[in-house]
Amino acid sequence: MKINKKNILLFFSVLGPGIITANVDNDAGGIATYSVAGASFGYALLWTLIPITVALIVVQEMCARMGAVSGKTLADMIREGFGVKVTAYLMFFLLLANLGNTVAEFAGWAAAMEIFGVSKYISVPIGGFVVWWLIVKGSYKMVEKVFLFACTIYLTYIVSAYLAHPPWGEIMTATVTPSFELKPSYLMLVIGVVGTTIAPWMQFYMQSAVVEKGVRVEDYKACRLDVIFGCIMTDVVAFFIIVACGATMFVHGVHINDAKDAAMSLAPLAGKYASGLFAIGLANASLFAASILPLSTAYCVCEAMGWESGVDHDFESAPQFMWLYTGLIVLGGLIILFPNAPLIAIMLISQVVNGALLPFVLIFMLILINKKELMGEYTNSKSFNIIAWFTVVIMIVLTLALVVQTIVQ
Amino acid sequence: MTPQQLYLSAVLKKPLINAAGQKLGTVCDLAITPDEEFPIVSQVLIRRKGQTYAVGWDKVVLFNPTVISVSSSVEQLERYQETGHEIHVKRDILDKQIVDVNGAKVVRVNDLKLGRHKDALCLMSVDVGFRGLLRRMGYEKIWNMVQKEIPEREISWEYVGHLEANAAKLTLTMAREQISEMHPADLAHIISRVPMKNIQTVLNSLDDETAGEAIHELEPELRSRVISELDSERASDILEEMSPDEAADVLGDLSAEKAEELLGLMDAEDAEEIQELLEHEDDSIGGMMNNSFIAIPIDITVSEALGEVRIQAPEVDTVYYAYVLDPDEQPLGVVSLKELLIQDGALPVEEIMTENLKCVQIDDDPKDILEIIAKYNLIAVPVLDEGKMVGIVTVDDILERFLPLDLKLKRHPGY
Repeated sequence: MKINKKNILLFFSVLGPGIITANVDNDAGGIATYSVAGASFGYALLWTLIPITVALIVVQEMCARMGAVSGKTLADMIREGFGVKVTAYLMFFLLLANLGNTVAEFAGWAAAMEIFGVSKYISVPIGGFVVWWLIVKGSYKMVEKVFLFACTIYLTYIVSAYLAHPPWGEIMTATVTPSFELKPSYLMLVIGVVGTTIAPWMQFYMQSAVVEKGVRVEDYKACRLDVIFGCIMTDVVAFFIIVACGATMFVHGVHINDAKDAAMSLAPLAGKYASGLFAIGLANASLFAASILPLSTAYCVCEAMGWESGVDHDFESAPQFMWLYTGLIVLGGLIILFPNAPLIAIMLISQVVNGALLPFVLIFMLILINKKELMGEYTNSKSFNIIAWFTVVIMIVLTLALVVQTIVQ
Repeated sequence: MTPQQLYLSAVLKKPLINAAGQKLGTVCDLAITPDEEFPIVSQVLIRRKGQTYAVGWDKVVLFNPTVISVSSSVEQLERYQETGHEIHVKRDILDKQIVDVNGAKVVRVNDLKLGRHKDALCLMSVDVGFRGLLRRMGYEKIWNMVQKEIPEREISWEYVGHLEANAAKLTLTMAREQISEMHPADLAHIISRVPMKNIQTVLNSLDDETAGEAIHELEPELRSRVISELDSERASDILEEMSPDEAADVLGDLSAEKAEELLGLMDAEDAEEIQELLEHEDDSIGGMMNNSFIAIPIDITVSEALGEVRIQAPEVDTVYYAYVLDPDEQPLGVVSLKELLIQDGALPVEEIMTENLKCVQIDDDPKDILEIIAKYNLIAVPVLDEGKMVGIVTVDDILERFLPLDLKLKRHPGY
């Protein structure tokens, strides 16, 4: 594509879906995994980010293409292509997985705010309300602007990493040299990093966002650029999280379990600004994902089942939609506030359901995108199909390994 | 024998046998052909060893959820040849989105009800309710134990509007007429709910005028998208049917090239009027005004004036006021339609007209009109440009402009 004024404008007009989806991918769970990876193995896991970026682009590009060509959401296409039974079960498990994911986001938000001394009994209700209000009272355009702004807050991680004064030469070498360790904890983290990158809900959200935005086939090239740009940005952020933790906690042998530990440990090692920025990044990422997950789930389920949907409705005209949306936020928040809630068990179940769901979603996608009657001349090319199937098979194997890991643990 | 009624879900994937009890295959779909009232089932499609075969309805002996039998043998089976014109109920209707014409909503088809009509098996209604969902899932009986009355929603085929292009030819004239009679705001709601590709199907079932009204009700972004997706000929036909200020609204949101292309295809007179309006900023009085209004000379009688209104009315949207202009197009006064109707026809217009017309200048702030309209209870206010009357701004244009944001949001979902 030539770079001229018209194309640049076109790029900005379709900018959004790809960047937003990919960034939400670095949610509370993602940040925790990358932090632990950096703190436990230093820069040894950096190389995995390159294949992960490729896989992410391959999968997200297919969703964007399906959305632009068919004008239908993934939930629509699955319902029309595979019937109501398959769809209903798929939606049920998606709902379950996304409830777990929402809980994880609120947990991340609560943890980040606790670093700043705010009790979770204050931060979670406020966070939940802000999320609900933004979507119900805001317009799509405004929400997209807020989201795009939230994407820029991820750049705080770059500053955090910079403040940790890492050895850049060593890091660059590590990024391009694959290394293996046969330690179970190492393998588990590799799987974890890959597993958090591609979640089932992302495919649904991505395609819906492209449809909602009304990207047309003619503008598809610009939209693909948005996807690629977003995926790269996501993994650049992941890269800096690993670097920030690697340069500090790994070097000093500090052991951490989650993102909150990471932010706290940064203070003595890299200064309070690095720690503060890290926490801001976590708070932003959690709340950002918490606003997208319930909404995308409610839309997806209602579209698939043929129920009225849309935030412009109320409990009377679109009961299922409003109950799903509000229910996910309220339940997600309440679980965090419940004293002695089995948080870890909930996260584990959510991770297992996510993992079990992913193969179905990816395989459905590959079947749908290769249907001539749906995609016309935009089906996968033979070579792309090979890459896509290869990616999907690896993703499935790794995710199932993660599920097995989680259960065994 | 044709059954009284049954659901499609009850026969799909059921074995199809012949008189000897031999299994010929599994029912995978039904082909239907349009008829006067309800589409008639013409063929049963079955899968046998990975191939699709078709059995004509005349061969069917029994057709119910327990037994489906035909009077042909394995040798007589004919391979199914796709001609591209058939409608297959499962492939083309089941699980797809349709328009519920009565409820003015887009819904998804959960099941189909077939029934006997004039000795043929016809497609009678579509099930879009929770009950249909449970039946397809196989949970209807279990649920029945919990809840005696499962809410049921079936839409008779007469009220179904189609979105999928290949099923659209099945839509009955009745549904088509009813779609045209829907309120433009309801139509806009439907259009905003369906995938872009299917919007064409909806618009193609409407006449130009209805399509124009519905398009104008859409939120600006979707509106420009819909217009650009339409065939340019059709788009210009639709624009011609809109009032000039509405057409200018629509064209103003398009790219300059597209707007020019469409203007070029339009009737020269209409295009000129719209072009004038396009020159004004969207949020100025010039951008809001409508340049067609009823103008009459001062030296005529009431009955002549009424005749003049009748002549001009087809081209004008707001007919409640007849403006009395001098030869230089300067307004001298106004007569309302009501006055023209109740006054003695022989009276000269000059005697009954209201002088001291409340006017605004073309470069005034739109807020001024709001004040005038509210203060004097007017339906429209004349707009002057260097003393000449160039158009009117109506109360609904003003309402739209000053309606609080959340009311607009309600009207334009997703804006």
